[in-house]
Formats: sequence, structure tokens, C-alpha cells
Amino acid sequence: MRVFRWKAIVPLVLLGAVGAGLWLLFADRIAQHTTESVGTTLIGARVEIDRLHLDVPHGRVEIRGLTVASPFEALRNLLQADLLVADLEPLPLLEKKVVIDRLAATGLRFGTPRLTDGRTAEQSDGLKGQITKWGEQLRVPALQLATGKVSVAQLDPTQLNTPRLATALAGRADSARQAWEAGLTGLGTEAALDSGARMVERLKGAKLTDVKLLGDARRTLEQLKRAQERVTALERSVTSGISALQADAAGLTDAKQRDYAIARGLLKLPGLDAPDIGAALFGSAAVDRFQRALYWVQLGRRYMPPGLLPRATPGPRRIRRAGTTVHFPRVNEAPAFLLKTAELSLSVASRTYAARVSGVTSDPTLYGRPAQASGTAPGFRLAALLDHVRPTPRDTAAASLVGVALPSLPLPSLPMHLEPGAGTVGLSFAMQGDQLRARFGREHGVTRDEDEAQKIVADVIVDRLGKLGLGALLFRLELVTQLRVLPIEHGTSSQHVDRPALGDGHQPGAGVVRHARLRPLLQRRDERVLREILGQTDVAHDARESGDQFRGLDSPDCVDRAVGVGSRGRHGFQSHHDHASRQARR
Amino acid sequence: MLLLKLIQSFFKTLHSEGTPGQVAAGLVLGSILGLTPFLSLHNVVVVGLIVILNVSIPGAMLGWALCIPAGFLLDPLFDAIGRGLLLGAPALRPLWTALYNAPVAPLSGFNNTVVLGSLVSSLALGVPLFFAARWGVTRYRATVAERLKRSALYRAVTASKLYNLYRLFRPEP
Repeated sequence: MRVFRWKAIVPLVLLGAVGAGLWLLFADRIAQHTTESVGTTLIGARVEIDRLHLDVPHGRVEIRGLTVASPFEALRNLLQADLLVADLEPLPLLEKKVVIDRLAATGLRFGTPRLTDGRTAEQSDGLKGQITKWGEQLRVPALQLATGKVSVAQLDPTQLNTPRLATALAGRADSARQAWEAGLTGLGTEAALDSGARMVERLKGAKLTDVKLLGDARRTLEQLKRAQERVTALERSVTSGISALQADAAGLTDAKQRDYAIARGLLKLPGLDAPDIGAALFGSAAVDRFQRALYWVQLGRRYMPPGLLPRATPGPRRIRRAGTTVHFPRVNEAPAFLLKTAELSLSVASRTYAARVSGVTSDPTLYGRPAQASGTAPGFRLAALLDHVRPTPRDTAAASLVGVALPSLPLPSLPMHLEPGAGTVGLSFAMQGDQLRARFGREHGVTRDEDEAQKIVADVIVDRLGKLGLGALLFRLELVTQLRVLPIEHGTSSQHVDRPALGDGHQPGAGVVRHARLRPLLQRRDERVLREILGQTDVAHDARESGDQFRGLDSPDCVDRAVGVGSRGRHGFQSHHDHASRQARR
Repeated sequence: MLLLKLIQSFFKTLHSEGTPGQVAAGLVLGSILGLTPFLSLHNVVVVGLIVILNVSIPGAMLGWALCIPAGFLLDPLFDAIGRGLLLGAPALRPLWTALYNAPVAPLSGFNNTVVLGSLVSSLALGVPLFFAARWGVTRYRATVAERLKRSALYRAVTASKLYNLYRLFRPEP
């Protein structure tokens, strides 16, 4: 019996030829579909391609009309690109590996609107769900303004410390004054001085042998000496008494703070120190940015893990069960995916942007260099480094953009909103292992140095991230702010409250609280509740007034805290940033 | 219609001119096609073997058709087997690593748990299946074939209008 069916050779070859022909016909479409599917899985949002062309002889892939939806916003794209051209190394393709020597992208646009929701449905225990839960654990204090009323029943004056202490202080001051007046009256210095003056006159014509006169002169000197001693004693008594009274007066400040705390509690007011206001107003925005940054970093860690151990990933989508695909990296072999260099160039609103990405790989340990990204444009800077070469991954990123119109911020419970104006937005993010340090800042006004900048800075330090929200988090949110808020005119009379130290009144100001319905009242320049809340007593009354006409809120400890937080954040990032710079220079 | 086609294919296979060994070999190769995910590189080889080796093509078609639903049903088992081989057997890791970094081999998708599990399972099942099928075909032809041809069921199926209609539109090649 024959083993081979030789007659079938020709049909088999024909079948192979037909298969090859079909592949040539549909390879572009298959590659496009695969790219869309893989990209959608990787990013967590739809990736759409108008046309993909495989230029196999030249090892080139051209992608036209790339659209990547935002994984965070329903009707917004993360980016769109007119054309992407990738130069591939052909040999790794035989090992099912993709090594891109160079990727050039043109016509990039970011944040464009889209008609449909491009986010992919994800289970709540997915990465996005975990990060959402993580963000929810970052408790941003709510700003609740003046939601209560002060009534006699609520505010018992007898419970206040300040009046009692002030009354006692006034009593002691009166007693001291009376004692000092009595002591001054009882000094008898006038008689001693008169006696001394007369003795001087007598001594002018006296003889040296007049013993009686010398005795009188000695007694007069003794009298003057005793008078001087009484004056000195009185002076000491007055000095010590004044010191005691000054100490008591200083104690009144603490008592007033305690009383204000009591009053605020009755009013259901928040802690109105500047950091609290910053946290309430900008904490959510900061956490949102941190969540996004964390999402990308976690994606990077998921698909760019350190080490050379076998790595399991979900299998390809198909009718049958997808299963798990296991990757077996080996030293001195090519990574499963490697993008050596990407040059991105785009123009937006007459601005030219240039960005560069390098070292993006599925096996950083094999490649041996961290992934880097940098972008520059007028007023814009971006730098990121994902170092997964070593067992403990380190991810840092920083970006700043000047001239950003900061959005209007409504003040809860009040028909007002804060208009910070245009300024600079900065974000830094550093994550080493499971420790995260992030910083989100907004500066507005003409910044020449740190003292002149008005900053709204949020620092987040997460001491143990665990598995993204799984397990206990030791979390600390710090927000430091120097807000300048104009007062809102109010119908009540001026009532000064103890305020934090005022900042330099000559600094420019941009923070404005406006009240649409009460604008006429604003023009009456009455003292307002908000001014009292914010502790401002010497402020301008309209946003149009020059900056040196009002003084901003400057909490006594704000500078220290700002410096402290800033330095921590700055140092935390600086070291990484320096590392990134060093890496970039290599 | 699919059932009729299967029955037709089944009887055509049993009554074909091929030897029981050829029919059994075709069944085994067809079962590999059916049990493993179809769009895999190894199935190109299997199809090539079916065409170039002197095995029963109807047998392969029958094995494929019968094993497709079995493949879907057994996917969880294949997944577990593949996982055990790829991740649970450190002794095999050098082999997988070498294959993964060799040309062409990764294109087969061997590093997918379902692909590897189903391929290994179908190969393992192939040997007993071959002998069982060969014995079954031999026994069938020796004892049942002629009686079945005379059976009421066979005649009813082949004489049915539906079957004739099917043959009208899908004539035998």
C-alpha cells in the first residue's frame, strides 16, 4: 500500500498558493484587526485604524487614521494620528516578535471629541476599577461653608475663654496701674530733688571749713540715694508687671483660637486654614490626575514587567476558550515587543510639539534600558521614565504646561465660584516599588520666584500601595495652598476675626471669589462673611483692583508647610528626575 | 441537514475503499483538527498530512466534524493540561524557552495553554483512537455493513425526500 498520495502534491501546492494569495489579500486587514484588538486590550479603550498596510519587502508598516479613545472620558479621544510609519526588523517576526527600529508619527492630535463611548467595559476588579477604588480611598475633605446658624442657645458666651481671660487681664492691668500710681506718688522724689537743689546753691558760696554744711550735704546725698533706689525698685516692678500683662495678652490669642474653633463647630464650618481649602477645592482634581498617571504606570508594569521569569498573559480572543499565553524570555534574545525609538511631531494651534519615546519593550530586563519619553513645546515640558530593568520598578513622570486657563471652581454651599485665572499646571509622579509620591500643582500670576508664585499644590504620599487598593493603605494627603480670595460683600456688619498672617500686599493676586447675584452688594464694599471666614480684613473688593490693593491669605505655618511639602516632593521627584536626566544623557 | 451530512459522511467513510487503517488514520488526523483551535500553525501541517498521506479524507472529515463540539466541551480540561505543562512543570521550562525563542515555533501558538493542552491531548488520544477505529471499522465491515444496508433505517434515510433533496442540491463529488 502506498503511504503517500503523490497525486495530491499539486493540489496541495495549489492550496498553499491560494492560501498565500488570500494572506496577501487579507494580511493588511488581519493585521489591522489584530492591532486594534491588541491595542484595545492594552489600553482599556477602543483603538481604531482607518487603514493599515504591511510593506513586507521593506519591513514597514503604515497606519493611517489611528484613533485611540480615552480610557477615562466617554466622548473624548486620547489621541489621533494621521500617519504612523514603523520600520520593523524582519527576522524577529519569525519568532513572533515585533521589533520596531523607528516609529514616526505625524498629525498627532490630543483630546479630540468623539461620537461614541470608546471605553471598554471592564470588570470592577480590573485595573481601572482598582484605581478607582484607590482614588476613593484618598479622602478629600469636603468644603462646607456656613451651613449653620449662630443662636444664643448654640453659642453660650460663658463657655468662651476669651472674655473671661480678657476681663481678668483688664482687672490685673487696672490693679497694676493703681499700684504703680501709688508707688509713683509715694516716691517723694520732688522733696529730695528740691533739697538737693538747695544744697547745691548753699555749696556754691560755702567755705571748706564749714563742717555743719558738709554734714547737711552728706545727709542730702543720702536722701537722694534713697530716692534713686525707690525709683529703681518701682521701675523693676513696672517692667515685670508689664511683662506679665503682655504674656497674659499673648495667652488671649490662644484663647481666641479656641473660641473660634467652638464657633466654627457651631457653624459647621470646615477647618479654614489654607491647606484645608486647597484640599477641598483642588484635591479632587489632583486625585483625578494621580489616578490617570497611576493607571498608565500600572499598565506599564503589567505589560512591561521586570525579570526573566515566564509571564502569563490572556490568550487571543477566539470562539474557543482563549486560555493563557505564556512568554518565556531568555537572555540575549529579542524581546517579544520592542520599540526602539519613536519620533513624534505635531502642530497644534500654531505651536510645534516634538516628542520622543524610546525603549518601550515587553521585556525591559532583556533590553537593559528603561523606557523614556520626553516632549517639549513652547510652554510645555514632559518627561517620563519607566525603569523596569531591575527587580524593583521605578516610574517617574513630570509635566508642566503654562498659560492654562484654570477652570472656575464652585464653592460648595455658596452661590460663588473661585476664578484662579490662567497659570501653570504641573504634575510630578514617582513610584518606586509600591511607594508612590505624586504632586499636582497650579501656579498662577507672574512667577519670578517661588515667593511670588501663588501655588495650589497637592502632594500625595502613599507609603504602601499594596496591590492597588487591596489591603490597608497608609495614606497621607497633603495639600498646600496660598489662595488669594477676595471678600464677598455681605449685609452684615464688619466683624473681624483672628486671621493668619497676611502675605505681602504688593504681590499680584489672581484668586477671586465672585458672586453673581450679590454683585451690587459687592460694590457696597461691606465686610462679608467669607472675608471673616478666610480671616481677611484688608482686602480689595473687586477683581479689577490691582494686586497691591489687597493682601492674600498667608497662613503662619503655610510657608513652612509649603516648603516642607515642596521640598519633600521636589526632592522626591528631583532625585528621580535627575536619574531620568542622567539616563537620558547616556 | 448537518445530521444527514454527518450520517452520510459516516457511512461513506465506513463503506469507502480505504483500508480500516487508512480510515482510522484519517479519523485521528481529523480529530486533531477538531480538538485543537483551528487557526493554528500545526493544523496547516495536519491538513497537509491529510492531503499528502494516503489516509481516508472522508475519515478525516468525519473525525474533524465529530471532534469540534468535543473540543469546545473539553476546552477547560485542555486549558488545565496546558497550564500544567507550561507553568507547572519546571523540568519542561528549558524546552518551552528554547521553542519560544526559536524561529517559526512560536507561530504555532504552542505557548497558549489551550493550544498546547488540546494538541497534547489529541496526540495522546490519537494512538488508542487509531487502534480502536481500525478495529471498529474492521468489525463493522465484517459483521454489520451488509445487514445495515438492508436495514429499514438505512433504506428509510437514503430513500427519504429530504435526503434526495439534499443530494439534489449537494451531489456527491
